Amino acid sequence: MLASGKYLDRTRKHGPMKLVGDVQGVPAPDFTLPSLDGRRVKLSDFRGKAVLLNFWATWCPPCKVEMPWFEDLQKQYADDGLVVLGVAMDDSEPATIAKFASDLGVNYQVLLGTDKVSDDYGDVQYLPTTFYIARDGTIVDKMTGLLDRKEIENAVKKTLNTTYKPASSPLNQADASVKEAVAAKATSAKDANR
Amino acid sequence: MRRVGVLSGTLLLLAGLVLAQGFGDKPPVEMAPVGNVQVKAGGSKNVSLDFRIGSEFHINSHTPKSPLLIPTVLKLNGPEQVTVADLKYPAGQDVSFPFSPDEKLSVYSGDFTVDAVVKTAANVPPGTYPVSGTLRFQACDHSACYPPRSIPVQFQVTVVK
Repeated sequence: MLASGKYLDRTRKHGPMKLVGDVQGVPAPDFTLPSLDGRRVKLSDFRGKAVLLNFWATWCPPCKVEMPWFEDLQKQYADDGLVVLGVAMDDSEPATIAKFASDLGVNYQVLLGTDKVSDDYGDVQYLPTTFYIARDGTIVDKMTGLLDRKEIENAVKKTLNTTYKPASSPLNQADASVKEAVAAKATSAKDANR
Repeated sequence: MRRVGVLSGTLLLLAGLVLAQGFGDKPPVEMAPVGNVQVKAGGSKNVSLDFRIGSEFHINSHTPKSPLLIPTVLKLNGPEQVTVADLKYPAGQDVSFPFSPDEKLSVYSGDFTVDAVVKTAANVPPGTYPVSGTLRFQACDHSACYPPRSIPVQFQVTVVK
């Protein structure tokens, strides 16, 4: 289990080592992905909601432990503004993914992930990985590996309670990528250390 | 003493980096070198391919318990003069993990060996022939999983009269 933090990661397509991690306070990259029921789902359409964005796969046994918890949390906190989105990083057929989710009692929206979305979110390799996104589209937390339910619920509460940032905030730029923002942070940290 | 402290700190930092970046460029499975496989023209020879899995990882066996889990598969391609056949995978260990204590998964951990038979036709000229391929696997640790990955598998077959 990894807590979020700064670490070196080699992005799959871009070759050189990049500093990623520490994505708290960074705008969540927007995306449009197909859902299992054939719709196109855009992340920024959920602006105003707190989003639990969970990357998972059918070949990932720890992922299926969390998914019923996410379903319960979605029901419990829906009225407070929580939306759960699952992103399946899977080569299986959509029908197989749908059956897998259904067998776990999942009713929240499951989207079919792409390499681009994985790259945009810092090359999501370690599953499960979950991003907690505040109502203004800012990443509140990133958690990787299976956590216990209490930690997940605490992260949900923290995300729901994260203060909405004013529109003039530089962090409120929905289409800035995590990598760009993190790179800018890394540069300023480097300068500060000189 | 101070140097020991600095060294310990450096090692801890490096360990933290390795942990945090997962297995990065180093795959969780490595293949042991295979000695030269010598076989008479027209004959056959058993060859054992030894693999080592990093201590914190396990991978699915060749026969996982669910069709959704990705099996470990060795694929080998020799030149037309050499045939590699009769792959024999070890049985998986049935193990429960903390993330799913009620479910047993069929996995490999530690070291495992895949046996194969190298065969040549009687008319194959003496010489050295490379065999190459891949081992595909999908690794997890105690709390998370990595996408399927392949590592190269290579050895040489020397055909003698």
